[in-house]
Amino acid sequence: MKRLLAILLCMVMALSAAACTAGPKAAEKLTMENIKIGFIHISDPSDGGYTYNHDKGTQKMKATLGLRDDQIINKFNVPEDAACETAIKELIEEGCSIIFATSFGHGDYMLAAAKENPDVEFCHATGYYAAGSGLDNYHNYFGSIYEARYLSGIAAGLKTKTNKLGYVTAMPFAECISGFTGFYLGAKSVNPDVTMDVMYTNSWNDPTKEGQVAKALIDRGADVICQHADSTATQTTAEQYGVWGVGYNSDMRDAAPNATLTSAIWDWSIYLTMAVESVVKGEKIPVDFSGGLKEGVVDISPLNEAIVAEGTAEAIEAARQKIISGEIKVFAGPLVDVNGEVVVKEGEVFVEPQSAPSWEYILEGITVVE
Amino acid sequence: MGKIIDMINAAVLAGTPLLFGTLGEILTEKSGNLNLGVEGMMFMGGVSGFAAAYLYNISAAQQTSGLIAVIFAILGAFAAGALGALIYSFLTVTLRANQNVTGLTLTIFGTGFGNFFGEHMAISSPGGFAAVDNTVKAAFGAVDIPVLSKIPYIGKLLFSYNFMVYLSVFTALLLAWFFYRTRYGLNLRAVGENPATADAAGINVTRYKYIATTIGGGICGLGGMYVVMVTCSGVWVHNSISGLGWIAVALVIFAAWDPYRALIGSLLFGGLSIMRLYVQLGIPMQIYDMLPFVGTVIVLILTSVRQSRQRSQPKSCGTNYFREER
Repeated sequence: MKRLLAILLCMVMALSAAACTAGPKAAEKLTMENIKIGFIHISDPSDGGYTYNHDKGTQKMKATLGLRDDQIINKFNVPEDAACETAIKELIEEGCSIIFATSFGHGDYMLAAAKENPDVEFCHATGYYAAGSGLDNYHNYFGSIYEARYLSGIAAGLKTKTNKLGYVTAMPFAECISGFTGFYLGAKSVNPDVTMDVMYTNSWNDPTKEGQVAKALIDRGADVICQHADSTATQTTAEQYGVWGVGYNSDMRDAAPNATLTSAIWDWSIYLTMAVESVVKGEKIPVDFSGGLKEGVVDISPLNEAIVAEGTAEAIEAARQKIISGEIKVFAGPLVDVNGEVVVKEGEVFVEPQSAPSWEYILEGITVVE
Repeated sequence: MGKIIDMINAAVLAGTPLLFGTLGEILTEKSGNLNLGVEGMMFMGGVSGFAAAYLYNISAAQQTSGLIAVIFAILGAFAAGALGALIYSFLTVTLRANQNVTGLTLTIFGTGFGNFFGEHMAISSPGGFAAVDNTVKAAFGAVDIPVLSKIPYIGKLLFSYNFMVYLSVFTALLLAWFFYRTRYGLNLRAVGENPATADAAGINVTRYKYIATTIGGGICGLGGMYVVMVTCSGVWVHNSISGLGWIAVALVIFAAWDPYRALIGSLLFGGLSIMRLYVQLGIPMQIYDMLPFVGTVIVLILTSVRQSRQRSQPKSCGTNYFREER
């Protein structure tokens, strides 16, 4: 009897929950006052890195468009598994017209939800399904961070005394490889003798490992250490051993004032503002958005004037103008890989076919130590 | 030659936080308490030691003295680690809660405690990073002993570390002396092996359990402080301990509950964790990361085959002592 009652109560609860669901109000016209925007984040802003920066973009977008707090619904710490599906469903039930997901592994769940909910726009960072999906409401976005890395590489190339750079990076993925290649080419553009050692930490945020890898690179003779990992340990380790560093994601000068030359940074607000405006105006969001220095999506943080080499600011400014005007292309030939094979011929340029990086060649002069 | 010295140097630095965690847990387990909260106590010690040095640094500004900052960091870290262990002792010794569950809860609590207060300091600082200044950083940097540090090879091998490394070695020797050379140490080991017998012999079991576990927690806290002040150079980093406490728990088994072996074990585990950065064998890096744990499994198998009474877990470890159930 008790069990029967329990089942009955469960059914009543399920029914009442369904009745409460708001659902998208199709009849009402979408305006800046009533639009709701959802975010799926893999961690929360306390990481001080990727999510922190993306959320900063959200805040800036909110200020630019004059939105209220209750119009933005954040789902933090959503892992790349079925929990993502639940989070997306909740956002849709709360009436979101556009949903952003920031991590690569969220892609499958976003794609499935996009097929089921044609009235909602789905924007996924770092993914690559959009072009092939054939859906009008599924989009990808990322940026050419290698352009910012190229500029920061100039600061490193001018600073190095041993002509050897070090690079602490997370994993052997295209995103990381394209990043360190951009950094290396930037350094090489001002210092043709420079070489670079790259080591993986095999994790996105592990300060102990990042510090150990940075120390190993310094022991190998590198004197400017760049990073593609979340914590500041690379910068502070460089400072401990009296060498220099180049940071990532946010301005890391405060963590290591005697070591950090500059950092490669993101400004996500440009894309977020554009996407939300498009939805309200009823315009199409680009299928696969990628912005660089020109659009202001990527940049470098202010130089650490006290320690950068003389002429760094001028050299970077000149390169920045040339990248914006299109005179400099980061992956312009001739480029030769470690095995001596020409991967980009003289006079040709490697262009990323999608917003997500796909560059996977290891160039001559770069040693991946593993 | 230089490369080997570099590698040993890195291994010592990598092994030091593990050594603190291991020594703290050995002391705890000798009293018959299996405290799985090492990770949590390291987080608590890390954030509190950092906070003590950081807040002192802010308030003293230009007048900051490296020595006072070091004292603040040590006291803050020890007190916070001890506080975590005290909570654990109260729950398991006085209230007789399950030791495994309590330890795991302490890990979760400590991780949240560390990240919460760490983030709070980071957010309230102007640049978005909570970081100490150069004077404090220098106090936790490598020591420079006249003449000795300059000897080729030997200088880098023995006299080029920060003071925490020497403190950890001293703690290990002190614990070994305590366990094997003092009456209190003998009493503590008796409590860990068989509390009922110890109780019959007139040893205050509750007091020994409380004191050993609390001091053990304090030592674990120092390990956490090492990560924040030395590895991260006095900058709060989200999730900075990232699993070192668990490696320390494995290392206790590897060390067979012996402080001398803990010295060797932490150097070995530290060495294995940085080996791939110095010696490239052309195998996937995940294999290297597995090596310390494969080593632990092998040691577990060997000790269970040999069934040595001397080098095994204290008999009562993991079970609570209840006088009325004798």
